[in-house]
Amino acid sequence: MRPAAPLWVLLPCLVVLPVLALLPGISHGGGWELVGQFAAAALRPSLDPIVLGSVLGGLAVTVGMALLGWAGSLVLGLVLGIASSRVVWRTCYGSAAPASWIRRLLAIPRSIHELLWGLLLLQVIGLQPVVAVVAIAIPFGALVARVVSDLLDAMPTASLDALRCSGSNSPAALFTALGPPLLPQVVSYSGYRLECALRSATLLGVFGLGGLGTELRLTLQSLAFHELWSGMWALLAVMLLLEALMGWLRRRWAMPARLGLSQRGVGSQGQEMVAVAMTLLPVLVLVAWRLEVHPASLLQWQGMPPLGAADWGAVGALPWPRLIGNTLMLTLVAASLAVGLAPLLLLLVQPWPAACALLRGVWALGRLWPPPLTALLLLFVLQPGVLTGALALGFHNLGILGRLLLEASETSGDNQDQALLTAGVGPRLAMLYGRFSHLAQPYLAYGAYRADVILRESVVVGLVGATGLGSQLLEALSSFANDQLIALVLAYALLTLLGEDLSDRARQWLLETTHGDGHPQEAGGTWR
Amino acid sequence: MSALLELQDITVKGRSQPRLDGVSLQVSAGERIALLGPSGAGKSTLLAVANGLLTPQQGRMFWQGETRARSGRARRRQQARIGTLWQDLRLIEELTVQQNLNAARLAVWGWPRALLNLLMPLETVACKTILQRLDLDPALLNQPVSALSGGQRQRVALARLLRQDAQLLLADEPLASLDPRLADELLTLLLQLASPPRALLLSLHRPDLLSGFDRVLGLKSGRLVFDKPRASLEPGQLEELYAGSPGA
Repeated sequence: MRPAAPLWVLLPCLVVLPVLALLPGISHGGGWELVGQFAAAALRPSLDPIVLGSVLGGLAVTVGMALLGWAGSLVLGLVLGIASSRVVWRTCYGSAAPASWIRRLLAIPRSIHELLWGLLLLQVIGLQPVVAVVAIAIPFGALVARVVSDLLDAMPTASLDALRCSGSNSPAALFTALGPPLLPQVVSYSGYRLECALRSATLLGVFGLGGLGTELRLTLQSLAFHELWSGMWALLAVMLLLEALMGWLRRRWAMPARLGLSQRGVGSQGQEMVAVAMTLLPVLVLVAWRLEVHPASLLQWQGMPPLGAADWGAVGALPWPRLIGNTLMLTLVAASLAVGLAPLLLLLVQPWPAACALLRGVWALGRLWPPPLTALLLLFVLQPGVLTGALALGFHNLGILGRLLLEASETSGDNQDQALLTAGVGPRLAMLYGRFSHLAQPYLAYGAYRADVILRESVVVGLVGATGLGSQLLEALSSFANDQLIALVLAYALLTLLGEDLSDRARQWLLETTHGDGHPQEAGGTWR
Repeated sequence: MSALLELQDITVKGRSQPRLDGVSLQVSAGERIALLGPSGAGKSTLLAVANGLLTPQQGRMFWQGETRARSGRARRRQQARIGTLWQDLRLIEELTVQQNLNAARLAVWGWPRALLNLLMPLETVACKTILQRLDLDPALLNQPVSALSGGQRQRVALARLLRQDAQLLLADEPLASLDPRLADELLTLLLQLASPPRALLLSLHRPDLLSGFDRVLGLKSGRLVFDKPRASLEPGQLEELYAGSPGA
């Protein structure tokens, strides 16, 4: 008995049953009144000019940090991506071996979450505006590098070979043959990364690195919910505007769809893309100047407290199996909730357009609402632990996966479900059979990638005291236990590298099962 | 013969001119009706109105004497008796033949059976009988649709109509992209299936294939220009219908 494709997308949501069964056991019920006040405040955000001024100032800093971090990651990613591309090394040097080594090295910065980079840099160079920018640029740059090198290595090399045979030198041949088809894909991907950078900049703010995130955390902790919602709505407006702009550019430049269900043609408006990139340069310089982001401050290390001798015995005595087990459990539950609930909720609201619009709104909030804040909010009514952390992470990732699924279901064509609807089938079953049949595998492939991201993100809920390696890391950071810190960061890196490998294999399997031609579509292949 | 479908004064607006302009017609059980007209005449629009895909801005529609419901269960119940053979077939590639055939029963099945159909083979005997009726090997039931040949797909799409137990069969230029042998085969099968209590309304481009039909409708610029028994159709009427069209 092998479930058919549409059932696959619903199977992960079975995790809801044990979660619902366990919830009464961890709820303490004391804070429902606060949660009610929080929800009610959504409809009455503070319009006090001082609050709005503070929100807009914080938002400007967050957007600025995101822009600079994103731009830095693109530069880093392009350079390192080209440097780690097999086809580039093979063409210029005759052997692809150095590319493999560079790729392996890049896995390390990629495996460490931007929040960890932020906190580590904070320890070394103090609270400087440049910290958040670099914290975003390093892991994002390593991610972009992998995507760029994957894209380059997956491109057909016929035109490159033809140019080489006609006597072109290697760099010129590479640039001419692979540059134009690479550009729209990189631009499309970089748009997606900008959205991620905005979310990360908000998250870094929650942990004290400035911007709106800091305001959000302070207002939540002081129970100033009306002020909190002023910031949330402003952030939501910016996020939706950015998503709409990226969607518009993607359509205008005929760039590949997010879930990669249809391979559209390569964009032909390269000049326009280059013009936009050139316009961004002075904007970035201006933002850096306004935010006082000075790269030189990276070299001004602050004095560290005296370090004690490393106590590796104490490091070994940490409850590693429990820490790792909790982290993995948190990842698994959060990923199952996010992957499984998105299609289920989409099915449930199908007959009602108003409910569908409401769902879009909730998902948008979930996307931009930093998981540590959700965790803090949940702590009003739930005890800290794996489930609380998983709910916070699951809600955030549900917003991301839900949007992707919605986007894909709207652009994938409606022939099959139209056929079912005209045969009298209800809208929910028409969607389940008609759309989820062909969305199932690319969606799950993306879900596998998302699980890998959730594993990396588990540190952020751990850091608000939920559970797992993250909470231990917080203790190590605050007690300057550098031996523990090193061991925990290494454990995290190792775990996320293993997770990445596992999710790569799952994605490859899912996509090959779908297409059977050994050419996985870009869905799980490049959207990282 | 009682009317299965009745359209009265149906109008569907277009950007510059109506896609359908005051079309009225009746389809009775057992009738085999060909819908002719040049490209852009409104044939697909008429079929889309008939199968409920499009809601006309004006006019009235009846199914077996009842007003066509616009939403809810009543609409779904009426829709369940109208089957469409799409030009692109619209089979679900990722599912097996049996799951595709059973998908035609989703209008009358509840959720538990609909989910069970995705988990295990259901109503195998009924599905096999239909495949055999269409000269298809019952062993195909477990095959994914993506593994079938073009001819097999055509027949599976027909089998899905039978499984739906549709009384009115609609087909929008089903022969357009087929080679002559497959087109002849498909048309013969469709005409065979359209025996009482079923009826067939089929749009096509080729007047040379009219021999099996009882009645012919001529549509031009959204208007019904003739509706008569095939036997009384005059060659001049066909020439007039296609006059001025690019292929004429």
